[in-house]
Amino acid sequence: MAESPSMLEMLTEHIDLARRLRVLQIHFYPERCKGVWQCYEVCPVGCWRPDYEKRVVAFEHGERCIACGACVLQCPEGAIELKVADD
Amino acid sequence: MATVFMKWLETQPEKYDRGIQLLTLGKLHKLQDRLVGLLVRPGMRVLEIGCGTGALTVAIAAKGAEVVGIDLDSGMLAQAENRLAASGLYKNVVLEHVDAALIAERFKPNSFDLIVSSLAFSEMSRDTQAYVLSACHSLLAPGGRLAILDEMSPHGWTARFAVAMVHIPLRFITWMLTRTTTNPLRDFQGTLERAGFRADVIERTLLGSLCLFLAEPKLDDGSQPLPVSFKGRLRYRMSLRTLLVDLWAVFFRIIPPYPKMQPGLYSIGQPTPDSPVLVTGNFELTVRRLVKAIDHHLHVWLLVVDSSGINVWCAAGGGFLTAERIIGALSTSRLDEVVNHRALILPQLCANGVDGWLIRKQTKWGVHWGPVRAADLPAYIQAGRKKTEDMRQVRFPLRDRLEMLAATMGFYAMLILIPVALLWPSSFWPLLAAMLGLSLFYAITLPWLPGIDGLAKSLPLGLIALAGMLLYSWFVHSTALADIFNRVVGLTGLSVFVGAELQGMSPRMRGEQANWGWEAIIAVLLGLAYWLIPRLMGWR
Repeated sequence: MAESPSMLEMLTEHIDLARRLRVLQIHFYPERCKGVWQCYEVCPVGCWRPDYEKRVVAFEHGERCIACGACVLQCPEGAIELKVADD
Repeated sequence: MATVFMKWLETQPEKYDRGIQLLTLGKLHKLQDRLVGLLVRPGMRVLEIGCGTGALTVAIAAKGAEVVGIDLDSGMLAQAENRLAASGLYKNVVLEHVDAALIAERFKPNSFDLIVSSLAFSEMSRDTQAYVLSACHSLLAPGGRLAILDEMSPHGWTARFAVAMVHIPLRFITWMLTRTTTNPLRDFQGTLERAGFRADVIERTLLGSLCLFLAEPKLDDGSQPLPVSFKGRLRYRMSLRTLLVDLWAVFFRIIPPYPKMQPGLYSIGQPTPDSPVLVTGNFELTVRRLVKAIDHHLHVWLLVVDSSGINVWCAAGGGFLTAERIIGALSTSRLDEVVNHRALILPQLCANGVDGWLIRKQTKWGVHWGPVRAADLPAYIQAGRKKTEDMRQVRFPLRDRLEMLAATMGFYAMLILIPVALLWPSSFWPLLAAMLGLSLFYAITLPWLPGIDGLAKSLPLGLIALAGMLLYSWFVHSTALADIFNRVVGLTGLSVFVGAELQGMSPRMRGEQANWGWEAIIAVLLGLAYWLIPRLMGWR
């Protein structure tokens, strides 16, 4: 049976998670984008700008991103990933 | 810190078994054994609703039946997997992560000879109970039976009091471990009858607070439709209760249990079948603020989904408000019979955890992401579900910053100020004043303090505080150097603490826990300085 973690293990895991959370970055693959704009619909900090003519989005203001993951979850084309830069 | 502790408790599902066994005085397992002995035969097809850690599941499989166990809690399911692997009975058992409200969609009619459930119905809302029972009706093969073992609210004042003594700790433990509260069933026999079952209590124990029901479908029944479960119209009202809840929420909202609403379908104003449908979580404050913002402006249907009493953003991020929960609520509320359109408006901030495409694919309802703030809903709907740039963005205005300050301070007052008041009463007022002053200053100046995270922002905060203190100490109220030194240490420590901890309250920063290591190092260094320097200087 799997050992349950101790309080200290949970604390260190939490700190590690928080450290990871700080370095997570949006990786956008514009060639997969079909202009559904769900990312634009759900982003709470205004990182996405729809291009109505080309029917794609542009990723802007990466510094505002809070890594909430909403755009990743709602993109039907898997065109957005949230990962550590050198992963 | 508090959140980590709660999280840690949640990862201990095996304690749930021990806790429940302790608090039902071992009677639960006796009744489960009795259920298995009486009803389970080899080769039977059994569905267990809410299998939890799998104790009953394995016992049923051990009698040679084929069991499907479903549960919504993945931690519990993992524990059940472990138990199953240890028993070697995995050929007879399938464990699935399915919401009880969706069993009619998941399984074919007539596919079970026995449906069992232990302590699961008491965790469902009344709507869900009725809905799941009607689904059981169709899932049972001819001659099939339903056995439900659960907590009951007993008859009589003395029995109720005696049971409360057992029940209150049970509620607490269950909440700590699973974030669910149990509501002992009332008139469950009636609920079973209304769902088309003939039911009897075949075992009862602990003064009738734990009962085993055996039910079989009535033959002439099965097609009786459930009434649409409408919970009523919500109006914005102030009462002594709401005042007390609000007062609690101002200071202690991060301490559970959170005030919550009964999930289900409500109305705001007088909606028609064409009116919009809004979805939200069941944190009472969320619902009340929503009602306050739109009552008298809009006539809408409001589907309150069980988010374990947590606000939508946190609940979605933490896995408490999910697409599955919303799909379940759509089924149990029978919303499709109430309105003649198929458009749901979800709060934009639940998009980090609610998979919109899953809802669209599984239910044929359309998902529209509403504005961030409830106050923008009237304008959003009047514009034909169009959001302006401003409606999409989370802000952290002064009012919110002060609100968050009160909530953080409420929690730390308990943690720090109460012990200080008891052990070092002379330091209480200076400490309170310093904490309040610093955090107030921080909350007001947050947007202009340099740096992007709390720890960095605590540096200018600390420098300003120290400068103020030094000026005061030298020019206004001259003090001995030793005392000034103590204040320097205290203020530096507090500034770091306030800056770093209040960061967790901001919606626009991330990963504040990453600073805990630095906070610990700074605390140790300050402690060392506090101990060493006065000795070197000969002050003490």
